[in-house]
Amino acid sequence: MRKLNSYENSRAQFARAAKVIPSGIYGHQGPAEGCYIPIEAFPLYSDHAQGSYFWDVDGNRFIDYMCAYGPNVLGYNDPDVDEAARRQAEKENCVTAPSTVMIDFAELLVDTVASADWAFFAKNGNDVTTGAVMCARAYTHRKKIVFFKGYYHGVSPWTQKIDYPGILEEDVCNNLYVEWNNFDQLCEVFERYKGEIAAVIGQPYMHGNFMDNQMPAPGFWQKVRKLCTDNDVVLIIDDVRAGFRMDLAGSDHYFGFEADLICFCKALANGYNVSALCGKDFLKNSMSSLSYTGSYWMSAVPFAAGIACLTKMKKLGMPELLIEKGKKLKGGLLKAAADNGFNLHVTGIESLPYLRIADDPSLRLHQQWVAECVKRGIFFTNHHNHFINASLSDADIQETIEVADEAFRVIRERMD
Amino acid sequence: MTDAVTLSYINLYAILGSLPHLCELVPEAAELVKGKPVSIGFQVKGGPSATLCFSDGACVLREGVDDCDVLLPFSSPEKFNGLIDGTVTPVPKKGFTKIRFLLKNFTALTDLLTRYLRAGEADLQDETFFTRSTTLMLYVIAGAISQIGNHDKIGRFSASNIPDGIIRLAIQGGAAATIQVKNHVLATDPVPAADFTACMEFADIHLARDLFDGKVNAVACIGTGEIRMSGMISMLDNVNRILDRVALYLA
Repeated sequence: MRKLNSYENSRAQFARAAKVIPSGIYGHQGPAEGCYIPIEAFPLYSDHAQGSYFWDVDGNRFIDYMCAYGPNVLGYNDPDVDEAARRQAEKENCVTAPSTVMIDFAELLVDTVASADWAFFAKNGNDVTTGAVMCARAYTHRKKIVFFKGYYHGVSPWTQKIDYPGILEEDVCNNLYVEWNNFDQLCEVFERYKGEIAAVIGQPYMHGNFMDNQMPAPGFWQKVRKLCTDNDVVLIIDDVRAGFRMDLAGSDHYFGFEADLICFCKALANGYNVSALCGKDFLKNSMSSLSYTGSYWMSAVPFAAGIACLTKMKKLGMPELLIEKGKKLKGGLLKAAADNGFNLHVTGIESLPYLRIADDPSLRLHQQWVAECVKRGIFFTNHHNHFINASLSDADIQETIEVADEAFRVIRERMD
Repeated sequence: MTDAVTLSYINLYAILGSLPHLCELVPEAAELVKGKPVSIGFQVKGGPSATLCFSDGACVLREGVDDCDVLLPFSSPEKFNGLIDGTVTPVPKKGFTKIRFLLKNFTALTDLLTRYLRAGEADLQDETFFTRSTTLMLYVIAGAISQIGNHDKIGRFSASNIPDGIIRLAIQGGAAATIQVKNHVLATDPVPAADFTACMEFADIHLARDLFDGKVNAVACIGTGEIRMSGMISMLDNVNRILDRVALYLA
């Protein structure tokens, strides 16, 4: 049996934080949204990171399958990306006139992303999904946006729901919702709101939490593409989460269709803060027309990091490399589960595996297993897809499978 | 924004609906309703209808007004809500022989309920009163969650995202309430169910009170372990959104 982690310093730091920061740690990296169940199993603060690992403030090392919720695609502190960023930082970063490195990055994206004729930069995924919706509305002069239920497109009011704190009915009154993979329902919505729909926005496949991730049905995206084209509706793909972990040319390319607008962030620059909206030529003027900018949106260092990251991802043969690693992990986890009599589901593309023990619909069993893994140094989360990074070694995967097996045994013994 | 219809359902099923718990928890309440059975029906036009049945010091809430001894009709949800906030005096439609119970015992009972639900600082210094008051608040909140999830426009949206199952709200070492969800319709159990699909548990009764009074932050409490969640968290996410509206209605 492995030694179990303890987190005294994390707890002490959280107590400090709760006095001066709302929620202590807010958002997806906090214990509430992150579903840290039970809280005692999880570290709350990191101290340093390298490659596939981070070390918490109590000195515990974790093999990190969340990768900062996606940005860590090459490995923490990747030397090539960090060197490119350092060199750019020596020259300039946030300056009155932008650096030409911005043009270099846009050209690289246009050359890489199949559906891209141009690139527009911001900081977070939410910036570019919001920019995409504004662009679609500017182009079509229509109000309504169609979402697939289970979606996540950021945190701006339009992306939230009527019952969320701080959200007005007016913020979401033009949102229309259809079931994922339900093309007939989408057609009905198009018919009912003919001439009113500006855009359909969707992730390349359903990454919803608390349920197995779902791939598009065969031909689904092709039918959606045609429906949008026939009705002059802009098709937006939110590739913030899956981008470059399915296909360097874009996840729309992976599924054999072309988005009108496609949003990238997480894996774009290996942790440097930049996001990108890429689009088709016919939308370029509409994007130009928007009053949409930010203090740090043209900072040069993240552009340099992004160029180095994208270049290295091409060189390494991403995303196939990540998918291969993900397949090894998936195979090992499934075997460990089966050996202990559990029905583990591993869904989504292997580079973004979503885990769920299906024996217990309340998910409490799953939560127990994840907690036992985390206490032994494997950082999984309960109800979010995971992320594979290029520095994850075979030894890391083997260690993960061994810990997973031990965790399965612990909960099996508890059940017996 | 709140609406009178939803408030009338909360007032009947959550506020008056907590009288059975009051009779269980507070001997003084049981004393007020001991003796011969008597039932009071509340019939709200455009709103809820239910009957409070008192017998041998206990109370139960039943759907409808078909078999009540005293019938109190209200021409609108607003009129019924006026009864609860003390601005409307009800006029019985039947049961004049039981009018003494209505005017004396029932009024004393609801006054007692008000004392426990809108407790003053002096009363709360008494640990027994504190525990009973906080326990009653838990039951009222659990009752209000179901009514808001079923009737309030935004609450119904939250309920539409809750899968089937049982949600448990509990105070560690103390009271618990459960809410059944079936096809996005919510029903608070009169007696808590043993099993659950999702659970939110408060570390102790003092923390529960502080949460109910809005003195502590629930998300931070999850980080400290003072609130524990388990099971189908998406159920609790949506219940928390309804809870936000409970505070609005019960303010």
